[in-house]
Amino acid sequence: MIAVASQGGWRRRESGPVVRPYAVTGGRTEPADGEVLDLIAVVVATSKSTGAGSEAARRTPEHRKIISLAHQPTTVADIASGTRLPVGVVRVLLADLVMLGAVKVVRQRPAREMPSDDLLREILNGLRAL
Amino acid sequence: MDSARSSAGRAGLTPHKLLIAGGFAVGKTTMVAAISEVRPLLTEEKLTTASVGHDDLQGVPGKTTTTVALDYGRITFANELVLYLFGVPGQERFWFMWDELAYGALGAVVLADVRRLDDSFPSVNYFETRGLPFVIALNCFDGAPRYDPDEVRDALDLDPGVPVVLCDARERGSVKQVFITLIEHVAARRARAVAAVAAPATAAPGR
Repeated sequence: MIAVASQGGWRRRESGPVVRPYAVTGGRTEPADGEVLDLIAVVVATSKSTGAGSEAARRTPEHRKIISLAHQPTTVADIASGTRLPVGVVRVLLADLVMLGAVKVVRQRPAREMPSDDLLREILNGLRAL
Repeated sequence: MDSARSSAGRAGLTPHKLLIAGGFAVGKTTMVAAISEVRPLLTEEKLTTASVGHDDLQGVPGKTTTTVALDYGRITFANELVLYLFGVPGQERFWFMWDELAYGALGAVVLADVRRLDDSFPSVNYFETRGLPFVIALNCFDGAPRYDPDEVRDALDLDPGVPVVLCDARERGSVKQVFITLIEHVAARRARAVAAVAAPATAAPGR
């Protein structure tokens, strides 16, 4: 089902594999809830994600892979990298899971607010200690 | 939906974005790799007239997007603070992706090659226009001519406050220093903005 070519697949220079990734979303290209998650939005699987029942049975392998990557809080970028699915596809699938209650968004990136002094100091100290 | 978002509590992970921009093949991925583990990321490119000539659309009726490979790196500090370093493709046909990548970013490094300085113009223009703090890092390849950073500042017509530093994108210590310079620059801009709010009579226009 996953149309993404992996290593050695057909690649165009500078742009990566030529794929039809939206097959895994049933052709949908927009998140069902209309919310476009930032690349570093943080999501986490909920207790409902382990449930059985008719809802869980309808999940695709890609939905299940995302849930397994989100057992710890993780970002949209890391899920896209971990599933080898394009970011837009991951957003569609994550929106499905959020609407089913299997995943929740714990941190959407705040809009262009100025970083705090404490944050910048923490990053500086971290960089210097590398 | 809203209840799912508001029941958040502590995320347990606080990611922040930094960008690395610059012309094609200037060493962006090398720079990310020097300081972090690089991961591949696929994102979408909406086909435009600029790229249609390169893409064979036969057999894919109605297809208007294709995928673009990006690299990014992560640096994890204590307290689950994580820096995400995104390389921004410099070519004009990728510009539609910049807004998304730049959204909420703390700042940017424009990696420049002194032999192809004009390749950095689009990045400099973009970050200046958006008010995103940035530094210029001159990638000093072996045998590349050395320029005085002030000459480069003049050539790029930079604001006096924008740091220009020399670096070796392959060297971890050198790259680390570039990012320290960037965060110090972000902090200095923040301090000026705060001072401007405190003393509006002498305030410079904010962003």
